Amino acid sequence: MVERSGYPAVIASVDVLTPTLRKFVLVAQGGRFPAVSAGSHVVLGFGDEARRYKNAYSVVSATPDGRELSVIVRRAPQSRGGSVFLHDKAQDGTPITVLSSANLFPVVKKARRHLLLSAGVGITPFLAHARALETAGADYTLHHFCRPEEKPAFEALLASLPPARIFIHDRPPEDVGMKQRMAEENIATHLYFCGPEGFMNWVEQTAAQIGFAAAKVHSEHFFVPEGGQPFTVVLAGSGQTIEVAGDETLLEALENAGVDAPCMCRGGACGACALEVLDGVPEHRDHVLTEQEKTEGRTILTCVSRARTDTLTLNL
Amino acid sequence: MTVQTSARESYRPPYQVTNSAETIMRFPFPFPEDIYMYSMNVEPHIRSGPVAAMRNTFDIDEHYVAECAEKARILQEDPKRCIVLPHMREAEWDFVELAMTTLSDQYPQHFSLRREGLDWHWVNRLLGYEQSFVFGDAGTLPLPPFEYMARQMQGDFTLHDQREDDLWMDGGMVTAQADWSLKFDLGMSFRQWHAPVPKAAEMGVFDRGLRFLLMLQHEKPVRRLNWTMTINPRLDTSPENFMVWGADRASVTPENVADKVHLRVELQTLYRLPRSNAILFSIRCYLMPVRDIMRVGKWRKRLHRVLRDLDPALSSYKGLDLYRQTVVDFLAPYDDGAPLSNGIQPDAEQPENVLAPAA
Ligand code: HEM
Ligand code: FES
Repeated sequence: MVERSGYPAVIASVDVLTPTLRKFVLVAQGGRFPAVSAGSHVVLGFGDEARRYKNAYSVVSATPDGRELSVIVRRAPQSRGGSVFLHDKAQDGTPITVLSSANLFPVVKKARRHLLLSAGVGITPFLAHARALETAGADYTLHHFCRPEEKPAFEALLASLPPARIFIHDRPPEDVGMKQRMAEENIATHLYFCGPEGFMNWVEQTAAQIGFAAAKVHSEHFFVPEGGQPFTVVLAGSGQTIEVAGDETLLEALENAGVDAPCMCRGGACGACALEVLDGVPEHRDHVLTEQEKTEGRTILTCVSRARTDTLTLNL
Repeated sequence: MTVQTSARESYRPPYQVTNSAETIMRFPFPFPEDIYMYSMNVEPHIRSGPVAAMRNTFDIDEHYVAECAEKARILQEDPKRCIVLPHMREAEWDFVELAMTTLSDQYPQHFSLRREGLDWHWVNRLLGYEQSFVFGDAGTLPLPPFEYMARQMQGDFTLHDQREDDLWMDGGMVTAQADWSLKFDLGMSFRQWHAPVPKAAEMGVFDRGLRFLLMLQHEKPVRRLNWTMTINPRLDTSPENFMVWGADRASVTPENVADKVHLRVELQTLYRLPRSNAILFSIRCYLMPVRDIMRVGKWRKRLHRVLRDLDPALSSYKGLDLYRQTVVDFLAPYDDGAPLSNGIQPDAEQPENVLAPAA
């Protein structure tokens, strides 16, 4: 296989969807992007002399010839600055690199029916899924939840899909009879959901109350890692000491120090970045480790988690 | 690698397969140490490695034309050696793209691909095929996309859907297998199709292997070597044809052991496919007779030690019990017990001549 350091691209257009959401269309430079399956994210590399970012975003669409792909980015002021950079500084022609892609949120191809529930920016994977399901002639329904002032923006995003399959609500799920609708689903239906924590918790609990089988419930807990207190990591193997600044992740600090650290989703969802903790206490922020593993504190997911102690010693 | 352009060889009686010096030296000998046991032997499939066979995405060697001809014959006799379930359609195109782009890139003298948007033009000079088609439109190819391409490649391929945190064997073309069957394994999960294997499950090899594969990333393929032994250069040792080849296992004598007994190595490579999120499992089979392995000092000594000390459960599962001792007795006089380097590399530039050539 060709070993490469990503696919060079430029931003070809920026669409302001709402005050906090922008859609960026990327065009490949001197080649084509790899194909992506619906539900995939890409890790994008971008920034300026002052600061480089590597952030993961769901792909909302991609052309079959590999020339273009689009992402929607929410401005997250409390994050480490990647989304703020894209909102405030990126424009047509800004260079950006597609570093890798992966799918942590596929649909079950053999399912007879799919129920998709999203809120806010959680719509992004479902824009790709709804189009793919439509093309495949599959049975699906999408319910999207947003604030009243955002409704027109989401109506425009979803306009190309059949109205009978798409419901956009400007009130919370409990106010529009969502629980009842979920309860009326056939036993064969697979449920998918993505959105802010409060919404995720509601859907998860409701699905459990209604009795959806765990194997038919799928969610993407994808979030932009936040900063925190600075701390120091010591690599047991090499003895190397690395400072993790307040506005960077442990994974970024390792990468900046030239360490070849494993990773995939960069959002606490896949577990690929797990490293063994030999000393110190991690502050877990991921959705992968079990409660028991979190209490034991022997493993840390470097893409999101930080340290409760001043120093962490890693088996690397 | 020089590729013969006509199929003079025969993978059925009367058998006729010969390996050039180059083919012997590029063989992926499967034993990095003097003792063999199952392990989580998975490493990145990068374009380098201890032997030349491991340095391409899909390895093409001098047996290409003959192996493709044998594959076509098996498929004609038994079309059910190729099955792809309907939900794997996108994976079929992923396979076509991966195969055509890497083959044309790595063997431009044999294959070429021209892409203009979705209009593709494929040339396979070794088999004399030329085809224009629309990528994604199965009606523009003479065969279903996966079958069209898998017939033009050495080795077997299976396609795996990923769901419920498991991998499911939902398609493939399998004509050169070591005693397992696609028809039987179709639709099975990772643990189900591995059920016949002794010891590995208890050792945690399958749990770790599956967890690793579920996170396999696009453009970061991995590889592992697997091995068994086969009597005669027979690619198709399928359970369906056991009646044809099973009895050969009792035919090994001290006189014919060097020519009859083959080390059968599978260079297995695994790829995440981008359109379908499926996994492609490629099983590239190499058959090397003991006579040719004898020509690399390190390999003949190590083969002797591994077979002599092999765990009885593995020997029985691999079907070696009827002739393993005959092979060990044959190799023993050629092993001086000297320490050997770790790793599979031959530690020699050219094969030596130890035995008189076969009559
Ligand atoms: C999608 C990926 C894979 C496929 C399709 C696959 C398929 C198979 C099949 C069909 C067999 C023969 C079972 C039988 O006797 O019927 C087998 C054997 C085996 N597999 Fe896998 N396998 C895969 C991945 C792996 C991985 C990742 C490992 C280990 C890390 C592994 C380890 C083994 C071992 C140790 C055996 C026994 C081989 C022998 O002793 O000859 N497999 N596999
Ligand atoms: S990279 Fe996925 S959990 Fe850290």
